[in-house]
Amino acid sequence: MAPALLLLLAVFALPMLQYAWLSTQAQTVLTELEPQPVGLAQWQRLLQDGRFWQDAFQTLRFGLCSVGLELVLGLAVALLLNQPLRGRTLLRTVSLLPWALPTTVMALGWRWIFNDPFGPINLLLAQVGLPTVSFLGDPAITWLSMVWADTWKTTPFVALLLLAGLQTIPADLYEAAALEGANRWQSLRRITLPLLSPYILIAVLFRLAQALGVFDLVQVLTAGGPAGSTESLALYAYINAMRFLDFGYSATLMLAAFLLMLLLSGGAVLLWLVSRPRWAGGQR
Amino acid sequence: MNRLLLILWSLGPMLWQLYTSFRPNATLTGNPMQGGWTLEHYQALLGGNPPFWRYLLNSGVVGLSSTLLTLVVAVPCAYGLSRLGRKTARNVNVLVAIAAAFPYVLLFLALLQLARDLHLGNNLLALSLPYTGLSLPLAILLLQASFRDIPPELEEAARLEGLGLWQRLRWVLLPLMAPAIASASLLIFLFCWNEYPIALTWLSRADLLTLAPAMARIAGSSVFTVPYGGFAAATVLGSIPLIVLVLVFQRQIVSGLTQGAIKG
Repeated sequence: MAPALLLLLAVFALPMLQYAWLSTQAQTVLTELEPQPVGLAQWQRLLQDGRFWQDAFQTLRFGLCSVGLELVLGLAVALLLNQPLRGRTLLRTVSLLPWALPTTVMALGWRWIFNDPFGPINLLLAQVGLPTVSFLGDPAITWLSMVWADTWKTTPFVALLLLAGLQTIPADLYEAAALEGANRWQSLRRITLPLLSPYILIAVLFRLAQALGVFDLVQVLTAGGPAGSTESLALYAYINAMRFLDFGYSATLMLAAFLLMLLLSGGAVLLWLVSRPRWAGGQR
Repeated sequence: MNRLLLILWSLGPMLWQLYTSFRPNATLTGNPMQGGWTLEHYQALLGGNPPFWRYLLNSGVVGLSSTLLTLVVAVPCAYGLSRLGRKTARNVNVLVAIAAAFPYVLLFLALLQLARDLHLGNNLLALSLPYTGLSLPLAILLLQASFRDIPPELEEAARLEGLGLWQRLRWVLLPLMAPAIASASLLIFLFCWNEYPIALTWLSRADLLTLAPAMARIAGSSVFTVPYGGFAAATVLGSIPLIVLVLVFQRQIVSGLTQGAIKG
């Protein structure tokens, strides 16, 4: 047991401590890559860094939109897969494929699919006489293309988690509700969603943490462009470390991103705790 | 109808890549119905330097070694945790679950410094070390849940027969845990196969790249010309091993994912 827990500490806790220390240092080419204590200067710089705020906003926008969309679509897919359909196993396998592929592989694929004007979507649009869309070249649109690609890839994961939750709900609850004259929408709202809420919470926590750390997808699909409109905090931290060789500031950015995630995850848990008694309504 | 939509949504992008990969580059900017077929993109990739299968091989090596190492470390840990009191185990598990959900991309800078200090860069087997650390949380949660499902009487009986701890593990517990071990192994392997930021920073030699950074390098190699036929062929070759894996082990992967969520 001890070696495993030590390794966990070394991989997860130690880096965060190192960042906390590094964020009080200047370690750049100017200091000949030797750390020099600068107090809270990096944090002051962060607060005044417009690029940081822009990236924080963009990361949040991406995270909230893609996780929200994945929840809705994932629930739809889970409800579909929970029905006794023919070929359900095959359907589940097929819908799982996007999740299993490496992000960089499919990000490259999406670059071609989103191509303007030769990608399939734009060919289709042109076919029916609509103007083509610059999916990857328009700051107002490109972040949505990224949400699209992310949703395609991770909806299966959310769907599977929710499907596991759906399968724990006893069927007689629905029968009883039907006897009382509840329609499908009512039983979804009154039975499915409340009983599914712990699974929804787990899916949100997992997905939110990963989506706010989005890196692979941005780097390969858009490289942060156009005009920095899709750059994420993780990519900015990466650029600071690997291109500007500004390690102190990179560590500060990572910590800031981490704090943002903690804040949002905490918010999600709080929301769940607050809404639970209202939903449970004496059932459990 | 819904089913058809789901299949189309899931497979459409992949089928388009497959189709593109067999088309000469010159036809990609024209009518998709015209023009011939070609194998030139695959020939170029497989005859490249290094040849594309090299990346697949590298990913396979890292994936296998990391999976093995993770199991070796995680099994005893999961066993130990499963024999702790409920309350202590619960507290430890909350921390482990947080680590499992941790956006590990944030760790790359610290891990990179580790690689520099210990000279672990450009070494596929050394890359298994961070991968093992990152895969451990999920493995511990999955295996621990499965250890708990085994009735304690069974182990007790084996002990009364005079079997030592390792013998009990080897002959009694592990065989019963085969399904959980299979699920955990597959998920770990998938993670390592797909991992990008750490591979990107730990590996720089072209012939040692794993699939994910190799794809990114291919994507970045041509800013001005856009050889989408070659890109598509690379995505197809990069996807095939995983598609086979998912088709064969679908059941284990799904049970691993859902068990991890329910018990974790």
